[in-house]
Amino acid sequence: MKTAATLTVNGTDYPIEIDPHRSLLKAVREEIGLTGSKEGCDDSECGACMMLLDGRPVNSCSYLAMQAVGKQITTVEGLAGGLGVGALQAEFLQQGGVQCGFCTPGMLVSATALLRRNPRPTEDEVRLALAGNLCRCTGYGGIVKAVMETAAGHEPELASPPVHEARHATHRAG
Amino acid sequence: MADTDAAPPRPRFLRSDGKEKVTGAGRYTADLTLTGQAFAKFRYADHPHARITRLDTSKARALPGVVAVVTQDDLPDVRFGGLVQDRTLFAKDVVRFEGEIVAGVAALTEEIAAEAARQIEVDYEPLPVVSDFVAAMEPGVPPIHPDLASYEKDENVVADGNTMAYSTIVKGDADAGMAEADLVVRGRYVSDASQGVPIEPRAVVAQWRGDEVTIWSSTQVPYAAREGVAHTLQVPEANVRIVVPLLGGGFGAKCDLHFEAQVAALARAAGRPVKLVFSRREEFTAIAQRREGIVMEFETGVTREGRLVARRAKLVLDKGAYCGEGGFLGQMAAMHACGPYVIEHIFVEAFLNYTNNQPSGSVRAPTAPQVCWGLEQHMDEVARAIEMDPVELRRRSLIEQGAEGPTRQIFDEIGMKRTLERAVEMIGYERELPEDEGIGVAVGWWPCMPASSGAYVHLNGDGSGTIVTGAQENGSGAVMAMPMFVAEELGMRPEDFTILYQDTAAANWDMGSCGSQTTFNSGRAILAAAADVREQLLDAAAEELEVDRQDLELADGTVRVKGSPDRSVSVGDLAGAGTIHGKGSGDVPEVPGGDTGGCVGRLGNETFLAPQLITQAAHVKVDRATGVVRVLKVAAAHDSGMILNRSGADGQVTGGVVMGVGLALSEGTQLDDEGRQRNPALLDYKLVTSADTPEIEVDWIQVPAKGAGPRGSKGVGEPPQVPTAAAIANAIASVVGTQVRQLPMTPERVWAASRGAGA
Repeated sequence: MKTAATLTVNGTDYPIEIDPHRSLLKAVREEIGLTGSKEGCDDSECGACMMLLDGRPVNSCSYLAMQAVGKQITTVEGLAGGLGVGALQAEFLQQGGVQCGFCTPGMLVSATALLRRNPRPTEDEVRLALAGNLCRCTGYGGIVKAVMETAAGHEPELASPPVHEARHATHRAG
Repeated sequence: MADTDAAPPRPRFLRSDGKEKVTGAGRYTADLTLTGQAFAKFRYADHPHARITRLDTSKARALPGVVAVVTQDDLPDVRFGGLVQDRTLFAKDVVRFEGEIVAGVAALTEEIAAEAARQIEVDYEPLPVVSDFVAAMEPGVPPIHPDLASYEKDENVVADGNTMAYSTIVKGDADAGMAEADLVVRGRYVSDASQGVPIEPRAVVAQWRGDEVTIWSSTQVPYAAREGVAHTLQVPEANVRIVVPLLGGGFGAKCDLHFEAQVAALARAAGRPVKLVFSRREEFTAIAQRREGIVMEFETGVTREGRLVARRAKLVLDKGAYCGEGGFLGQMAAMHACGPYVIEHIFVEAFLNYTNNQPSGSVRAPTAPQVCWGLEQHMDEVARAIEMDPVELRRRSLIEQGAEGPTRQIFDEIGMKRTLERAVEMIGYERELPEDEGIGVAVGWWPCMPASSGAYVHLNGDGSGTIVTGAQENGSGAVMAMPMFVAEELGMRPEDFTILYQDTAAANWDMGSCGSQTTFNSGRAILAAAADVREQLLDAAAEELEVDRQDLELADGTVRVKGSPDRSVSVGDLAGAGTIHGKGSGDVPEVPGGDTGGCVGRLGNETFLAPQLITQAAHVKVDRATGVVRVLKVAAAHDSGMILNRSGADGQVTGGVVMGVGLALSEGTQLDDEGRQRNPALLDYKLVTSADTPEIEVDWIQVPAKGAGPRGSKGVGEPPQVPTAAAIANAIASVVGTQVRQLPMTPERVWAASRGAGA
């Protein structure tokens, strides 16, 4: 039996009807139509489905959509706004951190969560923070370097309020 | 002479599919939704080997929301397979492995489809299960394909009993060579099966329009998929269009015909589009592509000076239940049991055996990493036997220009020995290490795969252009780099070009993203098409500017008079009438000759065209108390000919090495007694994470390859994985004092080996 609920994704409220057993990942992909978050294992092992819930990274494949009601949900689509490319995304491309791209959305989300709580991580801290995101193409080096470069180059920006809150405010204003 | 530093600097290249990949806007197959689409589920075999005595789909068909149920009875009675046609789309009478598809269901929701698949009633008469691939060839073991003799097969396939293909590599007289040697060294190594594990599980969406079907599929080989659909559904290839949205990795696991035809059959029966998305478990168990288990026995006759007088080897490979595209695996493995060495006498035989296990197929350099892992450990044992440093033994025995290969192929200028010296230098081979650390070195090789390809280059009136290619982008960036090459040819900018690719209706046949062949073959075709455009532009500009063609040059988006750049005409103006259309294929390089007359089961790999040559050196730390191995550094020196896209090539090595670390230490498919996978999940089948990766140093020995790929290039993508596990193995052995003889080298196996318990 479907239930009416409102999910707030990347600052936008989406009223939807969902089966209570639906995962957050399926709700966002299939009901809201934001397919950037990927399903790689349905088992919290690969991290391709990573989203932020009130700023904390979660494997959305293993999280019920109903539990996310009232929380701020951030997906890869919300990290830089529409088709814009933010500093972290640009560094992923620049450093060879993207090949097939299937792990990329989850990687970007996990890296964003890290940089918000630790704007100047060591390489070991980056590697540990991304250890829940599997990549089969790159060998991780380009991804880790992209996060390090972003941290080094954009420290002031990261000291500002979390991105999704800022965007939320912008959305409401506009 | 070529030198590592001699390559011309190129601007750093950002891939044109990058933006959609980092914003989440990019669409992969599972992201597609078509109006009215139904969802597919398969009913898999309930036994690894059994005769179907009753198959009743009536309950499933009656379930509300079910729009189609398809079994083999609904389809043309044809078998498919690469070198041996041994399989039907759905099981016909007999199931032969746990992932065999008995029936397919399409329903309005995934849940209804899953329920309907459960409600299909199947009765079985269990048959003896053959999971042990060495025992499979013993007398008296029941045949898995009793009708093998009558199947359609390649004329060079030598099949017998449960051996689907027998192949030998023969040179000289191995018996005489062994007698002549100072010492004969023997070694036995066993590799478990493993998996490609692209992070994207496969997905297929099919939609019919009249008698024509469009299939969106996460395949590496759209043209092979098209051929397979046409063959199994008995429709013309022209009626089948395969489109690949963004592909989320493949590593070989997405080669071959894989489920496109079953989904197309369901969509036809349902009269509406049907979508299939695999779970991770299905991605492990149902695909016919995994890295095969191999039992290897090596015997090498050597002189005290390190001359390799003779090599004998017997390889037994687990083919699994069906041929798929992997019929060549045994012969390929046999070439890797020779390795890139000068050996005077050779007798290597390979048995590719049917079992009731998951079918094996191409996974990144198929067979090479396992055989290299065995052979290179064996070579270290040979070095130890003659009390010679293992690097010195390789220095004395590796192939070089003018040397003779396993079948007397004569090599052109190659960088094999230079890769050895460079890798040894990068890893600091001679230095003192703590007693729990060690360094191992391994070499390997991989052939270039010649194939036809075709491409078009169209120019538009605004000076932009489109490259139309059958090439498939698997993520490596090989297709994404094409605008860079075309732009250089035409004096334009890479960003002037878009690429129309991964659509069989748009471009000519292409082998797909397999065999490290995209730049090698598709690149050749694209450059030929660009050269055709160049000729047309020169002709048109010569007329327009009233000058001789040879006085013209292409630069800055114009064709201009050399020395008088103000006398020019823009590419856009020349293309304005829409008459600039180039096409090209180029000449397919020929596989080199050799003396292959004595070889049995010749399937095309008896000689290696423009071999890619690799040395990797690994530095590891071993905890003897637990057997846990940590790889600290891997140094990789590769001869892939001239490197055309350095950052892309480096990315192939770093990714391949990390995949190799997984193969070495943690990745192994475990089977129960009846061939069922015990760890078909990422929780129990462990990939390397960002926290486990070693430092990786990469260098390229750039020797222009004659008669090979564009601009002296060779392939790049598969070799990085070939010697990684081998180098790690030799490093582990240098610490624990003995070889670990089973792959993956798990902590338990390393611990057991270090205690002399055998592993």
